[in-house]
This record gives sequence, structure tokens and C-alpha cells, in this order.
Amino acid sequence: MKIYISGLYSGTNPQPGIGIARSLRAAYPDATLVGVEYSNRCSGIHWADLDEMWLQRPWEELNLEVYAADIKEALDAGALWISGVDLEIMWLASVFPEGHKNLLTPSTAALKKISKPAVEAHKGLPVSIPPFVTTERSDWELHAFCRQHGWKVWLKGPYYEAVRTHGWDVFDRVRTLLSRAWSTERLFLQTHVTGYEESVCFSAYQGELIDSVYMRKRELTEEGKTWAGDVTEVPEEFTTPLRRIIKELNWTGGAELEMVRDMGGQLWLLECNPRFPAWIYGSTLAGHNLPALLVERATGVPARREVNVCEEFTRVVLEIPVRSQFPLPSLPEPYPGGIGHSMKHPSGTLALAERLHKLHVMESDGNGNGNGNGNGNGHHGRTNIAEAPVVPSSFIDDLKAYNFAEMETPSWLFLESTASELFKRAAGLASKLSTSTLTVTNAYSLKTNPDERLLRIARESGFLAEAISLLEVQKALQTGFRPDQVILNGPGKWWPEGLLPTSPIHAVFCDSIADLKRVVASMERKELQAKIVGVRLRTPTVGSRFGIPVDTPEALKKLVDAIELLPRECAFGVHFHMASSNIGVGQWWHLYESVLRWCRSIETLARRQIECLDVGGGWFPDDWQSDSGDQFAAAIARARNFLPFVKQIISEPGKAMAQPSMAVAMRLLEFEESSEEEVTEAVVDGSIAELPMHFFQPHRILRQDKQTGEWQTLKHGKTHLWGRLCMEHDVVASNVELPEGVRPGDVLVFCDAGAYDRSMSYVFGRG
Amino acid sequence: MSLAEGKIEFDETDFADTRAAMQKWEHFPASTISHHGGQCCQIAREWVLSTDYSQLNAGNPLTGPRWIRQKYTWGASTWPIYWCEAVEQKKLDCGALAALTQEVFAARGVRSYHAQFIQQYSEAATRQWSNSWNCDEACVHWIKEDLIYHEGCAVAVRDNEIRLWDPSAGWWVNPRQFGGYGGLLAVRVFAPQFNAPTGFLWGTQRISPNQWQKIERVRGDFAVAAAK
Repeated sequence: MKIYISGLYSGTNPQPGIGIARSLRAAYPDATLVGVEYSNRCSGIHWADLDEMWLQRPWEELNLEVYAADIKEALDAGALWISGVDLEIMWLASVFPEGHKNLLTPSTAALKKISKPAVEAHKGLPVSIPPFVTTERSDWELHAFCRQHGWKVWLKGPYYEAVRTHGWDVFDRVRTLLSRAWSTERLFLQTHVTGYEESVCFSAYQGELIDSVYMRKRELTEEGKTWAGDVTEVPEEFTTPLRRIIKELNWTGGAELEMVRDMGGQLWLLECNPRFPAWIYGSTLAGHNLPALLVERATGVPARREVNVCEEFTRVVLEIPVRSQFPLPSLPEPYPGGIGHSMKHPSGTLALAERLHKLHVMESDGNGNGNGNGNGNGHHGRTNIAEAPVVPSSFIDDLKAYNFAEMETPSWLFLESTASELFKRAAGLASKLSTSTLTVTNAYSLKTNPDERLLRIARESGFLAEAISLLEVQKALQTGFRPDQVILNGPGKWWPEGLLPTSPIHAVFCDSIADLKRVVASMERKELQAKIVGVRLRTPTVGSRFGIPVDTPEALKKLVDAIELLPRECAFGVHFHMASSNIGVGQWWHLYESVLRWCRSIETLARRQIECLDVGGGWFPDDWQSDSGDQFAAAIARARNFLPFVKQIISEPGKAMAQPSMAVAMRLLEFEESSEEEVTEAVVDGSIAELPMHFFQPHRILRQDKQTGEWQTLKHGKTHLWGRLCMEHDVVASNVELPEGVRPGDVLVFCDAGAYDRSMSYVFGRG
Repeated sequence: MSLAEGKIEFDETDFADTRAAMQKWEHFPASTISHHGGQCCQIAREWVLSTDYSQLNAGNPLTGPRWIRQKYTWGASTWPIYWCEAVEQKKLDCGALAALTQEVFAARGVRSYHAQFIQQYSEAATRQWSNSWNCDEACVHWIKEDLIYHEGCAVAVRDNEIRLWDPSAGWWVNPRQFGGYGGLLAVRVFAPQFNAPTGFLWGTQRISPNQWQKIERVRGDFAVAAAK
């Protein structure tokens, strides 16, 4: 009996070939095991269980037709082939569309049903799919996905590789790298599931389940790969649907379902690999020699049964002799100034992926997006992928007020009706949530954008003005706010000296114990008068430099003692602020709940009723607007539940108001076409000086069609828009598609620039 | 550690005197944190419970509170211990860690019971611990040769199904026990409440409350059964 085994890479992220070989050797001592590899750099070629080595040239050099013929000849001669390489399995499935009785790998149809992330075939298994989205969607939607999942997301390649992207800049950079590496734009973002990694591994032949095992990882490498595990029986509620699925897929070969069990016990399916896993010999140690059972079923030759049983296994590092006919290759020269020897994928896996793309071997039915509900909803095909983000119609209406032909660019555009509508909605919501005993009030944070037009609308909409300096207080007063409509906050609120209003302000929140003592002294001297005096909290686990920490019992005691100092004639309040756009919506609501608990503790310990709760949001506009009011109403109810004496809740929707209210108009200066006549690079007269938030959020970009006058949003594409500055990182947009007919001199309108883009913009490169 | 000899399997845990250990620790009560009744303990307690919610980080309430062990090294404690003393320590023993954890689970609304363990280590390990406790002038009545008395929490995950949380280690105890170093030999789950379950399910084992119970060891013979 001759068995070819591929996938011998044996580094820290190993392929299964060695484990398969060890398992087969145990069951078939006399079989001829032939190792197949594509690089003499893979250490597995030296493993002693392999009787022969069929070393191929790396995939980028390999003549696939000739190689396919060689494999066919070997199979026709009676040899078996067990592959340990996903891409090789896909290629073999295309080479043998009708299968081959000695090829122990699944068909193309079966592979399509298990393509990640949707893993269509999972239906019926007691697992869910973690929510995911294809990166073919617009950046606007991808950013929303990341926020929704608290930036606990992984950007994953189509076959291998996953990188945690905890911020927009990281995402953007990794997307470019992975797209280039795997020759595709079809990556996907998937939510992280915290929990324990578990697997089901099975062996099947022509649609019949032969045997399966359950493995829990007990030690992991830094890459999250198995280092030790335990192997047990697969529960019946899993095997029953698995048996049906295998039959439906007419599966042949090994496979592994990689899952995570969350803290509530729910299983989440990450992927289904069409091969045995690298830990397969651990299963053999537990008495389940799945590769041997596969061979036994395919050939009818009985496999020797293992007698030693141990359901726990671990790995060790071994030094083994190198085969004399395959001496070690030289180390590649490090690149000048580089670190390491750049030896990733020595067998040319990336080149194989590119070649298979060109051969259309791996086109799947589409894995558009999914909500992880486990019933397959949301697994749309490509036709459903909306590549161009939608903008509110008010944006377009507001743009009509501008004459772009004569406009100097770059130029800020105020979208007045958009702004008015947002403030009006916030005012309406506050009014709706207020009761006879509790007032909900909005406050506008001046730092978000101190544009007087926004301040005017805010004031007219009943907002208070939140200032972080006395200069901001003066600005608020100059634009018509009364002192009793001002909230003073932040660590530098007393700067510059001498500008403190003489009449009472609405509230002041202390950022430190020292600040609190200063406030007390100032109030005693009658320099400062405020209706509400409070503290800003910095709860544990929040990475912030602001507010009074409570991260130790001593810190909490210091705060409680300090609160005793506050004048009794003022109402007491607590403020917290954390940008939900940074930490994610779900995380923000948890933080809110956490703050309520801390407030209750403080109220109890300081024996001081909390009458005002000031909640800073840093809400991304879409997140704030997507709430119909129910969640806010529930939040108010929770506050009342925890803090029965609270009379006012101040909400600071911040950039949810300002961000959509302004845009930046820029002109295209020139294009650079690639050899494929695609515009991959274009220069605009704007820059990151006008869009400093580019690294943190995408901007929807509009362009007016000269013929129809219609405004169109730019779709996802391959063009990078470079700013005018001589700075390497001045890229104002990545991966957009310039519409046909676009010319230098055309205006592009960058929406969503009304918050910190505006207030933190700077003068640079203007002489 | 298994010592295979032909078809007969011996295991060092076979020789562990679990029964004598259960007798030794028969009257050990589960640890609790005392309260002075004043603000000192009130602040400490509020701090622990509010910190726990913050640390939960929007995770499932059944998540083990590893932050407690991260904050406090495992070591000797002086008993009785009060809330205000406990939070100020650098080291806490398994009883104090378990008692804090018990409070934390309760505050989360998770049903949890005091649990006591008898575990086997080695005489080399217990000698080290004896030394360490002696240096802190603490009592080593929790050590009996190579066996130790330990505390944790039995957390109800659904109905009467429990998981055993070891707050000193920061992990859930594996319900498949093989004996050997670190192996759990016996457990006692305190459920004195009038409406407490009459039995718990831990993995495949039934645990009767309020009494020491020897843990069944897994023989790892499922594969043999499957091969038949």
C-alpha cells in the first residue's frame, strides 16, 4: 500500500502531514508513506515515518498540468492521496471533478458548502456563525460593523490569516496587506468570540461518517494554535446532524470544525477545514486513528488498532536528523536594514492562491454578510453587496446652496438643514424622555465644533453649552448662552484666568481631587457659583486620563471623603464621558451600567444624593440616530432605578450632531493610471489638514455628475486619493472608485467632516 | 501519573488516603469575609462589587472573575479577615479568594455555592507551601502530606448543573479528572439553603450537597468502547 501525504510544514503553525504519517504508520507498519512537499525548507520532509519524499518545486514554478498528470498516474497505479493543504485540496477537486477513488479529499461542490465565513453546510449543527461582513462593502458599512462589535473584530483572509483590527487605521493597513497577499479584495471582517477553542474532527468516505472526535485546546501557542488538548467523544446532538451533512456533501476525507465555546456555553463555528488537523495524532493517541480508518474504508485493508489510550496529549519540540538527500538550504540574505529572513510561505502558498484565482477554481457562491444567528440568514451572494454608501437626502439638498463652479477649494460646507434636523430630533427626544420629576437635557460640547452656526442652533434647540476652558465659556456667552446654561468640565477648565462668569453657571464637574478642592475653595470665596457641583468618574478598565479614578479602595475612599467637602447648598452630580465610536456601542452601554453602579456606591458611601447625571457619548451619528428612543428610554429608567434622587440627566450627543453638519469640498488635481488603465492614485487639493479624522473614520464622498447634475457617492474601488501635502501619510481616502468621466478640476465633497475634522483641522502647506 | 504495567494500570492517586483527608477536613467551614459594620468595610465591599462589574467588560455574567486573582497574589491570610483588611492585602489565601468570588457571583445575580476541594500535589510542592506559610506565621492545617484542602465556588450554569471555579488558579476545574498532580480527589458543595437542590451535576458526575464526595476518575476508555 502506497499513500501520498502532503502538508508537511512543521513550524509553530503546522500542517497535518506529520500527524497523518504518524497515525498511518501506527496502523499500517508496512505501508509505503510518501511525503509530498513544495519546499525543501519545510522541516517535515525529514520525518522518519515517511519512506519516500516526493519533493515538488514551489507552487509559483510548478507546471500544474504536468503535476496533475503525475498525480493521476500515481492514483491510477493504486496509490492513495491524503492532502494536508487547503489550497491543494481545492486544486485537486478541480483537477478531478468526478473524484478519484484513491483521492481521499472532498469535491468542489462540498468545498463550496464549507467556504468561510458562512459555512453554509453548518445548518443543523448546534453552532452559530459569528457575525461577519465582506470587505467588498463600503468603508462606511465596515466602520459601522466594527463599532457595533466594539472593535473586537478580526480581518480574515479568504483561506488563511486573521489579524485583530482594533482601530480604523489598523484595519485600513491590514486590508491593503492581506488583499495584496491573497490577490483578492474579498476579505471579511468577523467578530471575535471570547471563549474556549474546541474542535470536532471527522473522517468520512463517500458521504459516510467513519469516526469523529471532540478536542478541547488545553494549551495554545502565541498564534492560538494547539499545543495540548484533550480528546473525547462527540456528543450525539452533534454527530446526528453531522452524519446528515456529510451524506449531503458526499464528503470524502478528513475535516475539522473549529469552534469557540463562549462563557454561556454557546458554540460558535469559526471555520471548517477540509482536511485533518495538525493535532490528528493526538486523536490517534486517544484510540481514534481517523486517517487509518479512512484508509481502511477506502481500501478494505484492516488497520491495526491502538491499545494505548490517553485522552490528553501535548506537543514537544524535537530535533531530528536531516535526510541526507535533502540537505538544509541556505538562509536567504536578510534585506538591507530588514529584520529576519522573510521566509513565510516557502512553498509558494500565496502564488498558488493567485494562480487558482486566475483559474477561477475558488469562486464561491458568496459570503456577503451574516448576523451569526446560525440559521444562515444574511448569507447573501454578490448581487446584494451595496458598494456605495448612502447619504441622507438632506446632504444633497444642502449642497444645492453652493456654487461649486466658482468655489475655491478646499472649502468647508455647512449643511444647515441637516444640522437643524439633527438638533431638532435631539431636542424632541429629550422632551419625550423628560417627566415631571426628571428632566432630560441636551448639552453641546463646544470643542466638537465651535462654529457659531452650530452653537446658535444648539441654543435655539434648548441645549446647554459644555465648555472645557474659560475661552470656550466666553464663546458660549458671546453666542447667546446665559451663564446658567454653561457646564464647565475637563482638566484645564480654569484656563485662562480671569474669564470666569460672575453669575452662577449650571454645573461644574471636577476632574481630580485637587480640582475638587480648588472648586470648594473657589466657591467659598464666592468666585465660582454653580447650581450643580460634581465629579467626573474614571471607572476601572477604562483607558482614560480624565476623571477621578476609583481603581483602588483607597482611591474610592479619597473620593468619598472629598465629596464630603462639597458645599451642601449645591446639587451633587456625576459626569462620565467615553466615546462610543471608540469603544463600540455595546461596550459603551456596559460602561453606562457600570457607572450607575459606581454612582450608587458613591451615593451610599458619601451619603450625598446624586441629583444630576451628565453622560458624554461621543456617539457616531448613525449609532445615535439608529436608536428609536427605546434604548435611551430604557437607560433613563435604569438611571432612576439606581439613583432614585436624580432630577436631571444631561446628554451630550457631541459629534452625533456636528459630524454630519459639515463637509469639505476638494478638487481633483491629477490622476495616475496603472498599466491596466485603472486609476489607482489621484491627487486632490485637500489634505489630512482638513480631514484629520481620516485615520479614525471613513468619510462618504460625493461627486456631481456634470451631465445630470446628480450627486453620486463614490463606490468601493482601487483608487487612493492623496492629499496635497508633502507628507507620506496624507491619504484622504483609500479604496474608492472614481466614476467614469471624472476629470481633473472636478469637485469631490467629503461628507461627515463637521466634528473633530473641523475643530482639529490645521493650517499646513499654505505658505 | 500513570504507571502502565502490562494490562494493569496503577495510579499514584489510587494510594492517596482521600478518606482520611475528608475526615481531617470534615469540620472545616467554608470561608467568609467578615464585616466590621462600619464604613471601612462598606467602602471595601462596594469597591469589590462595582469593580467586578466594570471588569466584566460586557462579558457573560458566568465569566470567572480572574481580576481578583490578578490583583491578589495567592498566599497566607490571617483569619478572621474583614472586608477592609482583605482588599488591602497583597496576598490572599484560597479561602479569602473564594469568599470574595462568592460575593461577586452573588452580586451579578449568578447562583453560586461555597465549594471545598481536596487535591493531590506532591510532597515537594506541599513542603514548599508549608515553608511559605510558616514564614508568614500562618497555620498549615490545610496540608496533609501530599494532599491539600482548597476552596472554590460551585457556580450554577443551568438548573442543577454546576461548574467549579478555582479562584486561586483562575480556571474552571476540569470535570474529567485523571488524578495525579493537581488532581481533584474530593469535593464538598455547601448548599444549606432550604430550597437548595438535592444534587448537582458536574460534568457527568452527581454531587450531593453538604458532604465530602470522592471524585470519579476518568479511565480514558471511551476509545476502547468505540473500537468494539
